Amino acid sequence: MNRMIQSSAFTLAFGYVALGIGALILFAAPLWYAWQVTIQDGRVELLQADTQRLVEVFRRDGPEGLRAFIDTRVGLQIAGERILLLTDPSQRRLAGNVPDWPRGVPLSPGTSTSTIDLAGQPTEAVLVRASLSGGYNLLVGRDMARFAPLERRFWYGLAGAVAILCIVGVLGGVLIRRTLLFRINSIRRTVLAIMQGDLSHRLPSPQSGDELDTLSRTINGMLDQIEQLFHGIRDVSNAIAHDLRTPLAELRSRLEELALTRPSPQETFAEIDAAVADVDRVIRIFNALLRLAEIDTGMRRSGFVQVNAAELAAQAVELYVPAAELKGISLSCRDTGPIPVMGDPLLLAQAVSNLIDNALKYARDDGSVSVEVQRRPEGAVEIAVADDGPGISDAEKLKAPERFYRGDTSRGTPGVGLGLSLVAAVAKLHGGQLVLADNHPGLRAQMLIEPQAARPWREQSPSGALTAVPELVDGLEAPRVGGLAAVKSHPLSG
Amino acid sequence: MKLLLVEDNERVSQFVVKGLKEAGHTADHADNGRDGLFLAASEPYDVIIMDRMLPGHIDGLAIIEALRKAGNRTPILILSALSDVDERIRGLKSGGDDYLTKPFAFGELLARLDALARRAQGNSTETTLDVGDLRMDLLSRKAMRGERVITLQPREFKLLEYLMRHAGQVVTRTMLLENVWDYHFDPQTNVVDVHISKLRQKIDSDCERPLLRTVRNAGYMLSANADNSG
Repeated sequence: MNRMIQSSAFTLAFGYVALGIGALILFAAPLWYAWQVTIQDGRVELLQADTQRLVEVFRRDGPEGLRAFIDTRVGLQIAGERILLLTDPSQRRLAGNVPDWPRGVPLSPGTSTSTIDLAGQPTEAVLVRASLSGGYNLLVGRDMARFAPLERRFWYGLAGAVAILCIVGVLGGVLIRRTLLFRINSIRRTVLAIMQGDLSHRLPSPQSGDELDTLSRTINGMLDQIEQLFHGIRDVSNAIAHDLRTPLAELRSRLEELALTRPSPQETFAEIDAAVADVDRVIRIFNALLRLAEIDTGMRRSGFVQVNAAELAAQAVELYVPAAELKGISLSCRDTGPIPVMGDPLLLAQAVSNLIDNALKYARDDGSVSVEVQRRPEGAVEIAVADDGPGISDAEKLKAPERFYRGDTSRGTPGVGLGLSLVAAVAKLHGGQLVLADNHPGLRAQMLIEPQAARPWREQSPSGALTAVPELVDGLEAPRVGGLAAVKSHPLSG
Repeated sequence: MKLLLVEDNERVSQFVVKGLKEAGHTADHADNGRDGLFLAASEPYDVIIMDRMLPGHIDGLAIIEALRKAGNRTPILILSALSDVDERIRGLKSGGDDYLTKPFAFGELLARLDALARRAQGNSTETTLDVGDLRMDLLSRKAMRGERVITLQPREFKLLEYLMRHAGQVVTRTMLLENVWDYHFDPQTNVVDVHISKLRQKIDSDCERPLLRTVRNAGYMLSANADNSG
């Protein structure tokens, strides 16, 4: 891993250097070309002007006059003097600083760049030739080697720039690598600690807002999620250990007794029926726990659709009306017109059913249970189920949604103590919560949900509920911060 | 009925095959996906019972998809330990007709197999349903017992319609919840029982021969013959 980072940082630096050099070459090439063209053309122009002047002298003073003129100029010994040559019709030198007409250079008038032999050395020169009247020929040229130092300096400059670029690039690469390596190593250390089982570690995020920081915060969010799922699994296994053992122990003793005492067939069959009922109870608890775990993971949020909460509640009420009538309880649902929410219809229906089921269990005989669905002013949708039973104490209101909690008054009534847990989990999944309030008399269970799909990371707490029943909200919040795990759960305390 | 059970667990297979034979059906058994696919494709069955997780890295769903692709329309009941709602949806999407979660009560399995076989051969175009002297008109949405008109709530009508469509078969509480109320969960109290007893009062009160009977440890049956025990 270390080597990979190293190589990746160096590849990055090397790439930058190569890119810089490429850019420099792209920048220098046209410059070089433009310089070449300008100098060359300017030089030719100067030479042509000079030739013109000499031709003028020839026209005015004749061959002798030009010869004297050239001799005077050569005699001045000007540094970097031009190549000057005047020949007579028989190609002999009349005047100039070169011994004779260079070989390979034609006599016809024109401009050319040729390599000529100058004082025994081959030299590149620009030559302008002119034919004068009477067969005289004039050669004016310039030695190009004189510009070589300038050119050399240009190349030196370019090489220097490339060298600086390389050094800066490599240094930059090393620095980037060190910084990157430092931060990546800190991430790696944290991840290693988490892999060893300590899920409470979080990546350092210096709030600088750069890419690595954003990445760290995203990973932290993921870790929050994983930690909650992990806790969820632990809670479920604790709950299973606690609450499945009891019915399993009953079942075991029932079967063991049967095997030991070997009673009459009639009795045996009755015991077998009871054992099957025990198993069914275990299965029911098991299913409820799995359903809770399924909700806790938040996976079901992907299946959210538009649901009419009012219609959903009315349907649940309709399912329970005959059961309520049997107990002499009047179960009613206030019609409010459609209230659309984004949610999971199956889970919402199950939650409302659980609330009604619960209310029917505790309502007075020939009392009443009412179901209301309404939109709260602050935006949350409230599904409330109110009964007129004995109600529960404030302390119990906090504990009721806990997993496997069964109030003292509920001993002896059917149920496994997971009904309200499921309601709370469903409410949480829908971005809300379960609030238990007084109905004076009785209990009013309010399931608050956000009409729009809940946000994936942060849990939302409807502010209305916070102000209305502050002492309850604390108890209903999940003990872990910022996530999806649904219900406060102390399965071992029950 | 001729049934095929594709299930790798030996005890569950023995239990199911024995139960099916006692109920008067013939049952073939395959304990792996390859044999299961072979049998399902080559023999005509009334209903196939398919476990999801099979040995040899073959998922029951893959077999179902293969059968459906080959044009095999035999009703398939998926038997699975995977109980998530999503898994259930996946199972039904792959071409299964019903989904039963393990562990299950045998009565539930039998009732669902009957319903599947009946659905495969039943026609849905009929406009009246008759069981004994109970008659239901699906167009005018009226029900009569002999000469007596029975007034029914919309949901009661749906409940009775379902029972009449499955007359002579056992229907379980779960089947009623799923098909009449569309609730795929288990309400804690026996709300269905109360609905049934209310319906029973409406159709069977002051009648010598009751039509709607409770089948112990299984569910309910609407039947004109008193001795038909399903």
